[in-house]
Amino acid sequence: MEQPVQTETWKARSLEELVRILHQIFAEDKVSVEEVQTLLESYESNPEEWLQYAKFDQYRYTRNLVDSGNGKFNLMILCWGEGHGSSIHDHTDSHCFMKILQGNLKETLFEWPEKKGNGEMTKKSERVLRENQCAYINDSIGLHRVENISHTETAVSLHLYSPPFDTCNTFDQRTGHKHKVTMTFYSQFGERTVC
Amino acid sequence: LHTLLAKNNRLGGPGSLPKGLGQSPLARSLRVLNLSGNRFAEVPPALLRLRGLRSLSLGGNRLHGIPPDIQELRSLEFLYLGGNFITAIPPELAKLPSLRYLVLCDNKIQSIPPQLAQLHSLRSLSLHNNLLTYLPREILNLVHLEELSLRGNPLVVRFVRDLTYNPPSLQELAGRTVKTRNVPYAPSDLPENLVRYLSLASNCPNPKCGGVYFDSCVRQIKFVDFCGKYRLPLMHYLCSPECSSPYSSASQSSTSQSESDSEDEAGVAAHRMQKVLLG
Repeated sequence: MEQPVQTETWKARSLEELVRILHQIFAEDKVSVEEVQTLLESYESNPEEWLQYAKFDQYRYTRNLVDSGNGKFNLMILCWGEGHGSSIHDHTDSHCFMKILQGNLKETLFEWPEKKGNGEMTKKSERVLRENQCAYINDSIGLHRVENISHTETAVSLHLYSPPFDTCNTFDQRTGHKHKVTMTFYSQFGERTVC
Repeated sequence: LHTLLAKNNRLGGPGSLPKGLGQSPLARSLRVLNLSGNRFAEVPPALLRLRGLRSLSLGGNRLHGIPPDIQELRSLEFLYLGGNFITAIPPELAKLPSLRYLVLCDNKIQSIPPQLAQLHSLRSLSLHNNLLTYLPREILNLVHLEELSLRGNPLVVRFVRDLTYNPPSLQELAGRTVKTRNVPYAPSDLPENLVRYLSLASNCPNPKCGGVYFDSCVRQIKFVDFCGKYRLPLMHYLCSPECSSPYSSASQSSTSQSESDSEDEAGVAAHRMQKVLLG
């Protein structure tokens, strides 16, 4: 993504409209990170619109595909039970946007480990994202861990990845060792995926 | 009443739960109870009479411990105790036969009792953000475990040179002899406390050693190596320093311990656990 030829300030008034505008934006050759982030932040989360995608699992967070963006991007909803968190992971050279639809999520940024990682990974920063906020990350920024640190509330987030990817690396915080994993969808377009 | 959600209140003082809860119809009907985000400093005893309870959440309270009588909740499948001040886990927790999901994250737990491996139904165990330096070797026995979170614990990464061994007492030596020589005894032959003592014998994990131990054992940490990517420090108990570990071929002396032991025989269990830890 480079500097935009034409920046619009979009306002998505519903999830449907959000998806429609995203298709429009990604139809162009050049897409601006700022434009997408602003668009995602502009959408005011309305649970009625996304409840059908919000399928929770008892034991871990779930990934629920909402739209496959004509191959240009994946839009998905992640559901986090109390205490659920992700491993430290990278984003396979893709852009990653994360918008909070409900609850709060803590994002901890990490430096890439040294080539032959053999020490504790370095924490860069951490923050708690609130409802409707949108964060952005890519591999040049670093790695992150995302967690729902609440013991009383669940959390729901909307993620956009471009280009889409289904494998990434997870990292052991104590040693920096990485391990490739394949990501799967708990549901697609509102239907539970049977593995 | 089947489900009661009372989270984010100020419950915790005496009289928080209605008197006679244990005798009420609720004791049989209640399946789901959520008391997270309150001010309970201990698990209210009345709660333990809810025999039909399947799901209990006391996350984000002020608990300092878990009562052994938690085992009364025979139907419990889901137990959320994250975000408290719990320092220890009673072995009685392992007596919950249906427990599938156990959350103990964000507490002050220093060790996991090996008995927890008896939770045969356990699918998910959340231990992140505690004070664990090692895990019991028995954790590898949890065959149905799919999720295990360990981050934010000061797990040792190096071999710990601390093999303190308290020689066995006369009572222990006598107990060992009774067990290994199969000396017959009946409850009428011995005081009740000794009968109970004899029932607590643990088998030495070394298959070549038919011995047992009671309180006196050697503790040593060995690292289970998951294909070089993830090393978990597991605590092994052996009946004596001369007894070799089931996972090594030669007997050990404290001076010849190498810093990077790797497990050969824990193969199957390690492979399974690798998927759980790295997935």
